[in-house]
Amino acid sequence: MTRSLVVQSILYGNEADGIVRAAEATAHAASMARTADLVGEWSLAIGDCSEVPVLSEANLKVIGGYVERAGGVFVHEVFGENLGHGGGHNRLAKSTSSELLLILNPDALLGPDTISALVNTVVDGVALSDGRQLPLEHPKDYDPVTGDESWASGACSMTLRSVFDEVGGFDHDTFFMYCDDVDYSWRVKLAGYRVAYQPGARVFHDKRLTVDGDIIPSAAEVYFSAEAAVLLAHKYSRSDISDRILDSFRGNPDETYQKVVRVFEERRSSGKLPVQIDSKHRVGQFINGNYARHRY
Amino acid sequence: MPEANIAADKQELPVSTLVSFLDSMLQRENLAPEVVNPLAAVREYFAKEQPVDGPFLSVLLRTQGHKPEAFGDALLCLAAQTDQDFEVIVIDHDSSPEGAAEVARIVASQPKSFGSRVRVIEVSGGTRSRPLNAGIAAATGRFVAVYDDDDLLFGDWVEKFHEFADLGGNKLLRSQVAIQRARPEVWRDNAPGLRTLSWPSAEYPKTFDQVAHLQVNQSPFMSFAFPRVLFHGLGVKFDESLTVCEDWDVILDGSRLLGVEDIPAITAIYRRWEGGPSSYTDHSQAEWLASEQRVVDRNNATPILLPMGAVKQLRELRAAHDVWEVYERLVQSRSWRWTHPMRMAIHAAVELRVRVRSALARFRR
Repeated sequence: MTRSLVVQSILYGNEADGIVRAAEATAHAASMARTADLVGEWSLAIGDCSEVPVLSEANLKVIGGYVERAGGVFVHEVFGENLGHGGGHNRLAKSTSSELLLILNPDALLGPDTISALVNTVVDGVALSDGRQLPLEHPKDYDPVTGDESWASGACSMTLRSVFDEVGGFDHDTFFMYCDDVDYSWRVKLAGYRVAYQPGARVFHDKRLTVDGDIIPSAAEVYFSAEAAVLLAHKYSRSDISDRILDSFRGNPDETYQKVVRVFEERRSSGKLPVQIDSKHRVGQFINGNYARHRY
Repeated sequence: MPEANIAADKQELPVSTLVSFLDSMLQRENLAPEVVNPLAAVREYFAKEQPVDGPFLSVLLRTQGHKPEAFGDALLCLAAQTDQDFEVIVIDHDSSPEGAAEVARIVASQPKSFGSRVRVIEVSGGTRSRPLNAGIAAATGRFVAVYDDDDLLFGDWVEKFHEFADLGGNKLLRSQVAIQRARPEVWRDNAPGLRTLSWPSAEYPKTFDQVAHLQVNQSPFMSFAFPRVLFHGLGVKFDESLTVCEDWDVILDGSRLLGVEDIPAITAIYRRWEGGPSSYTDHSQAEWLASEQRVVDRNNATPILLPMGAVKQLRELRAAHDVWEVYERLVQSRSWRWTHPMRMAIHAAVELRVRVRSALARFRR
């Protein structure tokens, strides 16, 4: 069965060489999927949220060449404003049409058969499937045979466009940078579809460790992940958890956490908190500060 | 940090152990004129990098075609390197026809800009050293690194080697490697897969200790990049009589002659397999012990160079050994054994006093 595909990536101040290299890998993987009659028409859509566009004319020409040789269409949009991860993807999705959407980090490198593996997974009630990230695989648990899991990572996940439209895409009003993928996964499940991991779909996501084996998040990552933790718990009707997190943040003198509390209270007073869903806790998983059972 | 590395850090540019030794010889007064010129010529040879037509790095990627998913991971990690100045020599060693076909299929499926720099050579028979010697013969890079088909790289593995190689010195380069547990797993459609079981942990020593490495290998193979001169100037080869420990053997040979430059960054992940084939299951304990003994014997049968700082380190080890010997003599002495009941009585009295005080304290509360 041949299906049409759009691969979407959002830029924000990235390094151009990495984007070009990733585009070559994406075009190659799409070409392999076309050869296997899994993908027909396809396009690579890159949206740029940066103040200064990341890609030069020369970069665009090289990427366009990769896509064209792989039988695809290259779409490049400069938004002129920072729409965030989910907002950028929603905007791009409106400007294209296809049966499948691949949400991809712009510098993530796909393996040659990754698109094929994901296309083969988005069947039989599976509306969303993510690949295995290298060199640091995400520790969320999954069923090795069915692939069923709590949520699919937005670093590399394929979804049915019909379902993307049905649930309203990413909730970018609530989640600017983090947890929009968790939220999207859970709404896909609430709509009656499956979310499945496809470990055979490998994708290189360039993360690094410190010399002691730790990851040091940036200040923005710390803030937005803390903000998202409170909002996600609230949205999935776990006010007990959001209240507990807010209490711990109130007791933390760090301005990052104080700001999270202020912003949450401002949202509350202005009626801008997300509408609470999943009141019977069918899909939301809050386990030891994670959104899935972790293997380690 | 071992003294050797502290001493090396004080120098402006890295200098190999061999060149450092020759420098110390050439600085001697009254050195016979007949000796000066040959020594200076040898010093010159090893101080300069040998010119090559090839890229910065030759990556020798050993595989036996057993783990196609892990092999695909290994190639993707290479394709994603931020520094692409390298060639890949896949050495297919004794794969089954099906395994060899799968290796060829995966290599052929790579994108052009990467795939054009990947070659496959097939090697039959011999130990784990044979494919490495075949790879060395085929390598055209300034440096050579060995990467097994079931491990992982971070995006800066090549970049960090390149950065430190450009400092000069022709030394072995050693970056940090994390350890991650993994086991084979069957995926959907009965596909042979794998499952990671732990977060990568930084367990290997952060700095290279030459003396400690004489006792046991503390560095996984892909932590090193070896300068070409080690193989094509100093004639180092992998010992094909070794069934295992071939990495330790060459690491010892190379580090003693050229020294090691430490790179303070984790650039790779060594997968420690639980279940499924690995070098620990493919070879018996007897083979490991025999290979280890052969490496020790070979090193013991030759004079060795040690880096600056090693004398102080050996003196400290010797002093610690002497203290241990005094202790051993003491506890085995007749007087120590005869006074055993007295020591036991004193020990019991002390214990009793502690318990009585504790009970009294509870009673007072």
